[in-house]
Amino acid sequence: MFKKILFPTSATEACDHAARVAFNMARQYDANLSVFHVLGVPTRGFSQVVIDVKTKEEVELDDEYIAWVEEEVKTHYAKQLENAKKCDINITIGFPHREILRAARAEKPDLIIMGGSTGDEEDSVYKKSMIGSTLQRVAKSAACPILVVNRPAASFWGGMSNVVFGTDFSKASDAAFKFVCKLVKKLDCELHIFHALDIGTLHMGKMMTQDEIEFKIREDLRRIRGKYIDKIKDINDYSFDVWEGLPYLEIVKYAREKHADLIVMAHHTQKTGSKDARLGSNIEQVMVRAGCPVISVNK
Amino acid sequence: MSKKILIIDDDPNVVDYLEALFEDNGYTTFSAGDAKEGLEIAKREIPDLITLDIEMPGDWGPRFYRKMVQQKTLKNTPVIVISGLSGSEHAIGRAVASITKPFDRDELLKIVKDNIT
Repeated sequence: MFKKILFPTSATEACDHAARVAFNMARQYDANLSVFHVLGVPTRGFSQVVIDVKTKEEVELDDEYIAWVEEEVKTHYAKQLENAKKCDINITIGFPHREILRAARAEKPDLIIMGGSTGDEEDSVYKKSMIGSTLQRVAKSAACPILVVNRPAASFWGGMSNVVFGTDFSKASDAAFKFVCKLVKKLDCELHIFHALDIGTLHMGKMMTQDEIEFKIREDLRRIRGKYIDKIKDINDYSFDVWEGLPYLEIVKYAREKHADLIVMAHHTQKTGSKDARLGSNIEQVMVRAGCPVISVNK
Repeated sequence: MSKKILIIDDDPNVVDYLEALFEDNGYTTFSAGDAKEGLEIAKREIPDLITLDIEMPGDWGPRFYRKMVQQKTLKNTPVIVISGLSGSEHAIGRAVASITKPFDRDELLKIVKDNIT
């Protein structure tokens, strides 16, 4: 299922919990792990002078400098590398999201694992970026699923066994469902299918009554039965539910209630190249808030 | 009747140490070397508190915890995480405390005393 894992990292604390998951998964599933670090942004096209991501200083790019950065990355992950069976480290320059996507196209990984934002956007060298913009852009455009570990609490311990699949019944969710079925069957996990009925927005200009909400919940439960349950009859342990509320909060709460160690969701646009590239707001909020890793499935 | 503590840890040295520590302080102890055995003992003995390691052969601590809270008789049992892993305070969000090995015995006893009912 996961034979090749790409782990783009800033080799800072922000990625430490994602690193735990990446190295753990690589060991557990006997996968090739590619640790990928973008060291800096060239000051101008094809320039040999780059702005170092960590120090924000201009440095001249030569083999010695690249070797030094590689050594720094190795030192940061020294403990994990000791136990890693199949792992290589790749260093490059450029804008992180472009380079990560380039590497993903070249290596064709089964999964990309990413940490949260470095949180230093105020003085970031990527002046136009927003928090987590690299993650947003990669998740939107990558052909393979992206596993995100945004909070320290969200790194899982001991592998996946209990998966929540959040659906809004869209076409994109169908692709995520295919992925989650494959994952759950391969790794023998429990599956919990969940839909949140959005009552945060007004319907036809008025608030829904409780009767309407409960009617919609029954309708959505029927929809889950019709759309998904036939396809998961060979899964040993599954459940499904619909809760009303703000979708992203309900998904996070449901995952916590189920002690899930993974959430799988789809996002809804693959338009790329825009500086305003955004994930669906629900999955973005789930990524930020969830107490377990979140996999975003693109296609 | 003395309170019962279940120790789940794959390191026999830690188990021996905790057994001695708790029994010297008036508690009855049970121990298990992995999560599966731990769950069987927990269902049978209904302990008043559980100390739980995170990284163990077979199921890890969080998976044990999930199975444990599915049991009606165990779902409110306080759990103290005792682990050598860094960041283990995040592993089980509803644990009453998380202690990193090596730990201070007085600190552990205080946590046990405060949480055992």
